[in-house]
Amino acid sequence: MSLRARWIMIGTITVLMAYLSLPSFFSQEQRDAGHWWLRSDGLTLGLDLQGGVHWLLRIDSETAVSQELKRLKSSLEGLAEDAKVALASAEVVGDALELRGDVPGLRKIVDENLEIVDAAEQDGALVLRLSARWKAEVIDRGVNQALEVLRKRVDGLGVREPVIAPQGAGRILVQMPGIQDTSAARSVLESTTFLQFKEVLDSAPSKELLEAKLQNGVPEDQEIVLSQGRDGSETEALLVPRAAILTGDMLEDARLDFDRRNRPIITFQWNNDGTAVFREFTGAHIGDRLAAIIDGKVITAPVIQGKIGRNGQITGDFTREEAANTAVQLRSGALPIPLVIEEERTVGPSVGADSIRDGIRASLLGTALVFVFMAVYYSMTGMFANVALLVNVLILIGLMSMARATLTLPGIAGVVLTVGMAVDSNVIIYERIREELRSGKNARTAIAAGFNRSFSTIFDSNLTTLLTAVILLTFGRGPVQGFGVTLAIGLTASMFTALVVTRALMDYFYGANPEKLRI
Amino acid sequence: MEFFSTKLNVDFIRWMRPMVIFSVTAIVLSVALIATKGFNFGIDFVGGTLIEVQIPEAAGPVDVGRLRDILAKLGHGDASIVRSGPVEERSYRISLLGSQEENRDLSVQIVNGLNENLGAEVTVKTIDSIGPRVGSELRTSALYAILFSWLGIMAYIWFRFEWQYAPGAVLALIHDVTFTAGFFALFGWEFDMNVLAALLVIIGYSINDTIVIYDRIRETVGLRGTAELESVVNEAINSTLSRTILTSSLTQVVVIALLLLGGPVLRGFAIALFIGIILGTYSTIYVASALLIWLSRRYGHPAPAKTAGRARAAT
Repeated sequence: MSLRARWIMIGTITVLMAYLSLPSFFSQEQRDAGHWWLRSDGLTLGLDLQGGVHWLLRIDSETAVSQELKRLKSSLEGLAEDAKVALASAEVVGDALELRGDVPGLRKIVDENLEIVDAAEQDGALVLRLSARWKAEVIDRGVNQALEVLRKRVDGLGVREPVIAPQGAGRILVQMPGIQDTSAARSVLESTTFLQFKEVLDSAPSKELLEAKLQNGVPEDQEIVLSQGRDGSETEALLVPRAAILTGDMLEDARLDFDRRNRPIITFQWNNDGTAVFREFTGAHIGDRLAAIIDGKVITAPVIQGKIGRNGQITGDFTREEAANTAVQLRSGALPIPLVIEEERTVGPSVGADSIRDGIRASLLGTALVFVFMAVYYSMTGMFANVALLVNVLILIGLMSMARATLTLPGIAGVVLTVGMAVDSNVIIYERIREELRSGKNARTAIAAGFNRSFSTIFDSNLTTLLTAVILLTFGRGPVQGFGVTLAIGLTASMFTALVVTRALMDYFYGANPEKLRI
Repeated sequence: MEFFSTKLNVDFIRWMRPMVIFSVTAIVLSVALIATKGFNFGIDFVGGTLIEVQIPEAAGPVDVGRLRDILAKLGHGDASIVRSGPVEERSYRISLLGSQEENRDLSVQIVNGLNENLGAEVTVKTIDSIGPRVGSELRTSALYAILFSWLGIMAYIWFRFEWQYAPGAVLALIHDVTFTAGFFALFGWEFDMNVLAALLVIIGYSINDTIVIYDRIRETVGLRGTAELESVVNEAINSTLSRTILTSSLTQVVVIALLLLGGPVLRGFAIALFIGIILGTYSTIYVASALLIWLSRRYGHPAPAKTAGRARAAT
């Protein structure tokens, strides 16, 4: 390739990479300002640098299986009744469903209706277990439901660019950058926020007084619920039916709002079915009390003033955060299967800022020392190597911005380390040129021989190091993976800069008059 | 400027025997230490919960003892508590090893318990909580990562050089990793994910160094033949010595910058690299080249290729 063509290539790459890396040196506000020369995508900072919460969650598969078995149980009870087969008892024991009664008859029902269940007879009972395929389906379904619920809830927290993704084998990765309040983040995982509306049948200032009032005890289909004040003290005991008039699954929307006195309230909207039920009930019960119960706790129990339709509101003794979190949970529905936190990493924003500062200081110091050394040790040609290093760092940042790779603290270490290791290619070439000069070759031949003879060394040594970077990328987790990415890109770029950029500079300065070579 | 203006001629081969004995002893000792004393694994690898909090002035005077009492009251008397950073920063690391999977809210409970008992709201700097399952998975994948890198490099060198070169290169890597890990076992330094990353970088650095000299050995064999392999190896080491010293010092300079300024998170990483770079440089001469000489003496070294410097597949 002619020198001119090489310059065009180097120039194009440098300008392109400068354009790609530029946004990383500006704040998000400046990037969003819409300058033509500034893209809005810069390097994404990892959670360890910007602070936030990282979770690796696992679906509680035991609960998932036992829930599925309970569903199976009720459908089998139906089938047995239709077929008039005696079913004495059906019980979920661990990961199995034990059926007793007319075992051969039950077996026939199972064989006819269920294809993928493992059935065995044991101690006079028919024991059903979910097959591996069925279990996998149950877990998959659980993961998908959980993903949907988590997405809505995390959105509700107002997280910028969250990550919520399945991670194979019943696992879910959740990353919430910038979240500082860990307990608010936890509310995302609350298994259910169950809203019920029930009519109030009777009430008393405490549970004891209410029980005393009911001479015949609490009827089977009714229960006592309590409303509690902020300090946990009992303020009222209410007698309500077990069955709710309406539940949260008929909600279309729920939001935080404020009443006239600027107290936080939750406003909600029913879907069509909910609206019809609610309108009819409130119309027929004007003057009665209606209790709004969340997770078994009475939030409020106002007197119905008139017919209410689609929209309603819950006024309670909440703080702003509680009202907001409850609204999010009401809106997103229940998490059907509990989630286990397998891995949690929370980084406070100040720690992230400290890490960035430390990382940048260390990088600048390391790079500066390398630069000064190269300039002193190799004079002019050392400066060429420094130019090559700068282009190397530019390519590294540019490619990482383009690939939307995440910069982590180990990643910053990777950048500095790349600077240290990338200079190796130049050192190999320069030492070789010196050697060739010592053996009596003229400058022009020495330069050519230096580059040619170093090629296989540089190629082999970088390729094997690249291999370890790829392994880091494959087996590492989180921040360490980010380190692998930086190292891999940096090494590849360093081959290009040492062999092409340095060479072009040498040819440009010494091509016509090699006797001027200072190395 | 130039440090080595005349051609160097250090007799490395003379020290081959004692150095090999030293290396073998070091590996045996390291393995023994790792097997008996074991690593001080970070929670990444064993599971557990680590909480770093900063305690506000409002909480009054605070020390490890006071925090230990509070944690004992919360039912975690076995927690280990250390101050991180200077006294006036009032930052403490509380770690609980072992399974926390049963109790999802453990970290929140501890932070709330601290707030209540200190009578002030602490600032949570970091919370790391790893279930035992994830911990053991990470241990397994760490082991695989290192083994695969050894195997991959073995295959690559076999393909690009001759088979006699491959065992030495890999043995040098095993030497560097075991020796560095031995330091971590000996001094009980915390072995976390970043240290694992450092071990892989050491592998990358060490093989880089080995290949530079192997390449020169191959080239010199092309010129001088295999009759005096020891002196050929010695010459190759000497001709690349200035590069070896320059590159390792420049990389070391960067590592020292990381060690001094990189902050607490990267300390283990930087220490491991510092040791590993010294070992990686040393092992090229006294492990990789030593085994190459021994294997070539025993099984012969293939005749030099006509075109020096270009590699072919092993025959």
